[in-house]
Amino acid sequence: MEARETVICIGCPLGCRVTVLQDKKGNVTGFKGADCKQGQKYVLDELKNPVRTLTATVRTGDEGYPLLPVRTSRPVLKVLMRPIMRETAKVTARPPVKAGDVIVKNVAKSRADIIATADWPGPGGEG
Amino acid sequence: MANKVDVAVIGAGPAGLAAAIAAREQGAEKVLIIERAEQLGGLLPQCIHNGFGLEYFERDMTGPEYEKAFVERAMGLGVETQLETMVIDLDGERGITAVSRKHGYMKFKPGAVVLAMGCRERSRGAVGIPGTRPAGVLTAGTCQRFVNIEGYMPGSRYVVLGSGDIGMIMARRLTLEGAKVEAVVEIMPWPGGLIRNEVQCLHDFGIPLLLEHTVSFVHGEKRVEGVSVCRVDAERRPIGGSERFIPCDCLLISAGLIPENELSRRAGVELDPVTGGPVVDESRQTSVPGVFAGGNVVQVHDLVDWVSREAELAGRSAAAFADKGRLKPAGGVKVVPGESIRYVVPHTISGREDVSLHMRVTRPGLKATVKVGGVASKRFRSVRPSEMIVIDLKGDALKEAGTGGELTVDCRMKEGD
Ligand SMILES: Cc1cc2nc3c(=O)[nH]c(=O)nc-3n(C[C@H](O)[C@H](O)[C@H](O)COP(=O)(O)OP(=O)(O)OC[C@H]3O[C@@H](n4cnc5c(N)ncnc54)[C@H](O)[C@@H]3O)c2cc1C
Ligand code: SF4
Repeated sequence: MEARETVICIGCPLGCRVTVLQDKKGNVTGFKGADCKQGQKYVLDELKNPVRTLTATVRTGDEGYPLLPVRTSRPVLKVLMRPIMRETAKVTARPPVKAGDVIVKNVAKSRADIIATADWPGPGGEG
Repeated sequence: MANKVDVAVIGAGPAGLAAAIAAREQGAEKVLIIERAEQLGGLLPQCIHNGFGLEYFERDMTGPEYEKAFVERAMGLGVETQLETMVIDLDGERGITAVSRKHGYMKFKPGAVVLAMGCRERSRGAVGIPGTRPAGVLTAGTCQRFVNIEGYMPGSRYVVLGSGDIGMIMARRLTLEGAKVEAVVEIMPWPGGLIRNEVQCLHDFGIPLLLEHTVSFVHGEKRVEGVSVCRVDAERRPIGGSERFIPCDCLLISAGLIPENELSRRAGVELDPVTGGPVVDESRQTSVPGVFAGGNVVQVHDLVDWVSREAELAGRSAAAFADKGRLKPAGGVKVVPGESIRYVVPHTISGREDVSLHMRVTRPGLKATVKVGGVASKRFRSVRPSEMIVIDLKGDALKEAGTGGELTVDCRMKEGD
């Protein structure tokens, strides 16, 4: 018996629906539907290790600039998106902040940091 | 202000910033950006998600990061800006009238003008959905501003009408913020946005995408209580009996963007009814001499990177015009959209210089070949109306082929998506 999993490749506008054929032990035995090699690689990565860059905002307590935009410093496992959101929601940023500054280290044990994507000099500051 | 402005740029989004930078780099002394909002960046500050800069910087950046890179370059080059100032009139001789609370009313005539006003979202009125008029119906971009800049969630259960990128990105954002997105409803048989967004914004979160459906009624007295959705036929007409009710307290409209061309119209700039933007030549000069245009005001781009590139071209040309007091229209050869091509920008080219053609197809297809007259052809595994096609032409090839004053662009494809 073979296990099958289908992934939509985002490598190009074609958006192939690629089915990965696996044997009982989970070894990949083939692909169906992929139009190119690059797509097969994407699909394997997406099955084994689906990661995303997560973007969000962090509270500042500054009425004139209530939210600081942030992102994960690198792509994180898809399943960690919600735990990271929960942890980030508890944080209030402290000024001054420069884009790239770490706001939360190793967020939700993802080995990624939450970093600022904009400058925030603080209440009343320029910009 | 009365001091001679060489190049005036209207709008400080990615297009305006890139145009101003290019104009300065091309030698224009005084470059002024006029922006009606309180800050620079146009739509970018509220686009906190990533996916910007992949073409331009070959890096995956968020909107604010992309904006910062351009703002810093502009400031470093001494580009001047005037915020909270609205341009209310542009005449056929480049005369600008603007108002601001701080500076009052002003009128001046710069050496050249770049239109970079971007676009606005189609609203409920423009889409024409029947029903009551309760609170809770808003455009996806407005919602994005509330949630990402002002920190205010307009509702807790959403239906999104239209599967453009903004709608899909907001569906993900609202879900991550703890709201429930019941469905994204799309009238066409294919999604309106990028495949990347369909996968990462909808599939990742199990949000249903209802293709060939529309919202047929909005329910609720003071506040939205739900919407009726129904299937549509091949002519996009609701199919009787297919209606069902989805409870929600917010309806987001993401039904496309319209280039913002009130000013262009006032100036007498010729507009293309298909793109909704000015007719431009390869230097991005419009039909009014000395008035140039770039970014979403010309055509709704899919990627901000193309916005920046197009606006740079407009900025460089504007600087050249301001310097000499004229710039020969680079027209000569008309570019005509042919089979399965909805539009091509620029509308005219010189037929001598290297030029990039931007275009969109009318429908999705597989194994497509885009042919530009007898000059060039490019093959694509697939094409979709939601993704802009860019084809670079070489000046030498154009000269050699001899275009006979007209160049037709055709796309041959197999059916399917
Ligand atoms: C929600 C959303 C998500 C997006 N996601 C992506 C993405 O993931 N990746 C990507 O590459 N691109 C994305 N884009 C596209 C990109 O943001 C736009 O293409 C880009 O912002 C267009 O730039 P622009 O400068 O032409 O227009 P805008 O950014 O709209 O700027 C126009 C500016 O002109 C000003 N203006 C207009 N009229 C006047 C006037 N009369 N006087 C003074 N000022 C005026 C406006 O206030 C505004 O600041 C997204 C767009 C949106 C809306
Ligand atoms: S498999 Fe290849 S052709 Fe198919 S979507 Fe992915 S990159 Fe494109």
